[in-house]
Amino acid sequence: MTVGEMLKMMRDPLGAPFYPPALQVLLVVTWVLHIFFVTAALGTSLFSIVGFVWRRRDELALKLARIAARLTPNMLGLGIVTGIAPLLFVQTIYDPLWYAANTLTGFWSVSFIFVVMGGYSLAYVFYLKGSKDGRLLFTAVLSFILLFVAGWVMHVLHSVSIRPEHWLKWYTPDGIVDTRGVTFHAYNIPRLVFLLPLQSGLSLSAIMMFVSWYLSKRGEDVPFLLWTGELGRKLGLLISPLYALFGLIWALTEGPEFGVTLTIALPLVLLGLLLTVYFARLRQPTTKGPLSLAIWLGSLLVVAIVREVIRVASLARYGYSVADYPYQFDWGSILVFSVTTVVGVMVVLYLSLVLYQANASKEGTISPRVEKLGRIATGMLGAWFGFFFLVGLYSVLFLR
Amino acid sequence: MYPFWEGLFIHSTLFVAVVSAFHVLASHITVAAVWFNFYLEYRAVKENREELYAYLKRSALGLLVFAYVFGAMAGVGIWQTTTAANPRGISTLIHNFVLYWGSEWYMFLIDVIGIIVYYYTFGRVSKETHLRLALILALGGTGTLSIIVGILSFKLTPGMWFETGQSLHGFFNTTFWPQIALRMAFMLPITASWALFVATGLPRGFYERERIIRYAARFGLIGLAAGVLIWLLWFEPSLPVHAKAILPSRAIPQPTFPIIYFGLIATLAGLLFAYFMPHKQHRLMAIGAMVVIFGAIFGAERTREVLRKPDIIFGYMSSNQLLFNDIPVRNIESEEARLSKTGMLGNLPFVPKVDNAIGIASEKTFGYADPEVIAGRMLAIQQCGSCHSVSKQTSIEVASVALDLRSLAKLLKTRNLTTAERIDNYIKSIGAFPYMHPFVGSDAERRALARYLEVFVQSTYPETTNQARLMR
Repeated sequence: MTVGEMLKMMRDPLGAPFYPPALQVLLVVTWVLHIFFVTAALGTSLFSIVGFVWRRRDELALKLARIAARLTPNMLGLGIVTGIAPLLFVQTIYDPLWYAANTLTGFWSVSFIFVVMGGYSLAYVFYLKGSKDGRLLFTAVLSFILLFVAGWVMHVLHSVSIRPEHWLKWYTPDGIVDTRGVTFHAYNIPRLVFLLPLQSGLSLSAIMMFVSWYLSKRGEDVPFLLWTGELGRKLGLLISPLYALFGLIWALTEGPEFGVTLTIALPLVLLGLLLTVYFARLRQPTTKGPLSLAIWLGSLLVVAIVREVIRVASLARYGYSVADYPYQFDWGSILVFSVTTVVGVMVVLYLSLVLYQANASKEGTISPRVEKLGRIATGMLGAWFGFFFLVGLYSVLFLR
Repeated sequence: MYPFWEGLFIHSTLFVAVVSAFHVLASHITVAAVWFNFYLEYRAVKENREELYAYLKRSALGLLVFAYVFGAMAGVGIWQTTTAANPRGISTLIHNFVLYWGSEWYMFLIDVIGIIVYYYTFGRVSKETHLRLALILALGGTGTLSIIVGILSFKLTPGMWFETGQSLHGFFNTTFWPQIALRMAFMLPITASWALFVATGLPRGFYERERIIRYAARFGLIGLAAGVLIWLLWFEPSLPVHAKAILPSRAIPQPTFPIIYFGLIATLAGLLFAYFMPHKQHRLMAIGAMVVIFGAIFGAERTREVLRKPDIIFGYMSSNQLLFNDIPVRNIESEEARLSKTGMLGNLPFVPKVDNAIGIASEKTFGYADPEVIAGRMLAIQQCGSCHSVSKQTSIEVASVALDLRSLAKLLKTRNLTTAERIDNYIKSIGAFPYMHPFVGSDAERRALARYLEVFVQSTYPETTNQARLMR
């Protein structure tokens, strides 16, 4: 059995319920949100530690460290919830890859949950019990380490998944099946450094500038805001060249294996250099918080596309293409998803605006327009249950 | 079809069971707790009862940390554990229901962002706005539950999906409606234990403390009574014939039912105690109630999962992750029919033919270099490994006691099946058991499986070697 035949046989016979390339686009886009929140959690976690360890006498640093400690668990929560979306789509169109990687690395795949739970709960412990005066700092350190380990596990799973030619050899070393799933079969350190520590630094940089802009709206202490914005800019300026460098090393170490060295190197090096120029030329970073965040999210989209190109190139060697993935339009699920998308977006928009406006001023005033949106969104959410019930009745009584 | 992860220290399915039961506890607490919070907040706004906010804020923080850290992570944990333990089972669900899961994701997003907004806006927005946030949280939580029940119940009763191939038929199946009602009811007593936990953290003399405890107990008692009635009058009668046959069989190990009954009775007693003597409640009692409920949930969820044995998707996919039915409308053909003709070895990606020249004496094959044993082990992993431990790696020792809950060696020894010949005859007959699936493969492969199992049982229990010799 060739690798290509194996991959085709491993695809689920049910096929996808929708046009697979559309799911591929959703996979890439939702991953951007996921990696932003995850790296933001790691970045803020590290900063809260740095603030309490090395800058104990610096009031500005301590104040920012407290904000960072508060942000870490919330960013992580959002990182987890936004991680579910790409998880759904990867299983649908890349099922052979995802399932093979998870079973070959089963022990770590399952341990991942306990590792993240530990990191998440310790981040909360530090925020709730230690971030006021820096007590229980070890919880923050341990949380950071655990979250990093979780990132490492995900990196290994992905690295295993894009190397199908090795799966059988890894599963049956010396011809005897190994069902323990304890070995880290594949990894690429430059890629990991690029995606995790460096992107965490850049997410932190974007967040610092955004936070300084956001807090300026409610008239917070100006020196603190200026210092925070400038620190974000300097951090970005420091990391961006490294970002370009590690993008290049990633291309040189992983690219030849899949024949995509230039395809990785060109956009990533260019991205790192453009970010360097942006941070070098940026004046008054506090006023440019939203712009910096938008630029960073755009950069992550470029990385997400590069990452996807590598996967596509790897699989193309064996004739596996998302465009060829079997599918059959399933109108029922498309209808449920479309209606829920409209409702979900409205409600999430409302919730985000309430959070934004409640903290954007000292009084926490919510504007009448947002209140109106709230009434509509809540009504839509209530009506969704009516829709759900009616679809159910229709399915049971009339659909044949 | 995929590589197989048997587990380490404990069997892979036990990871699934523990993580799932914990997720059910946390998620059901969340859904009903946000309704309870909405109820209390409604009264706080309408009756101008400021004191209730002390409870609400505590409860919200608890939910933010407990339910959304551990609950949400355990939810992701179910993905990870089921993916590692039985990837094709989860793959079937994904390929049928990915867009329903996508819809659930929106509800989950509402939950997670909602609880953050809810907690961080106490006192920062108007009471009416905050009440609306409470309602959104309650609706979002109920939305996630409603969607996931459709996917879960499909595994037991795919129903008309076999004929039409339409996801709506699979989703709104015959056990969907009673199961959703059952879960809605039983989540109330679960939440009562949560409310008890939060309320007992309030100072003893606090004005609303006892009143909240009584509200919670009333919620719990109504839910418990409704849940029992729904089980008896709606859910149990709606179960397919096969599931009703499994219920009293030994597929459900003891003491599952005593644990469930004890959980129900203890919960009833605890709720009555809380209702009539709210001033005597203590936080330890609330923790105890949660532990008891966790045990009952573990038993109940395990039973629900076992009801469709030996299938992962009833009537479609066996526990060995192979399809055994045709679904013409989806162009699906039975894999087992094909593999029964061709044999297993070399015809699935991760069940390769054994190279006769290997000759490696591995500890995984208990020192045997015999290609038949190596092939037999491969088949044991593929055919039996999803439910049984087929090696020693999933048996840990605690205080010199082996926790080999799913050991096939132990089962064979108990049934005095210690020789390849006896085991082979047994394998030939297992298809007749309601909770077992027939062997798939050629006669030679079945004999190889029996040979490996003989080696496994005799290596695990050396005393059986002599017994086997005598029996020969």
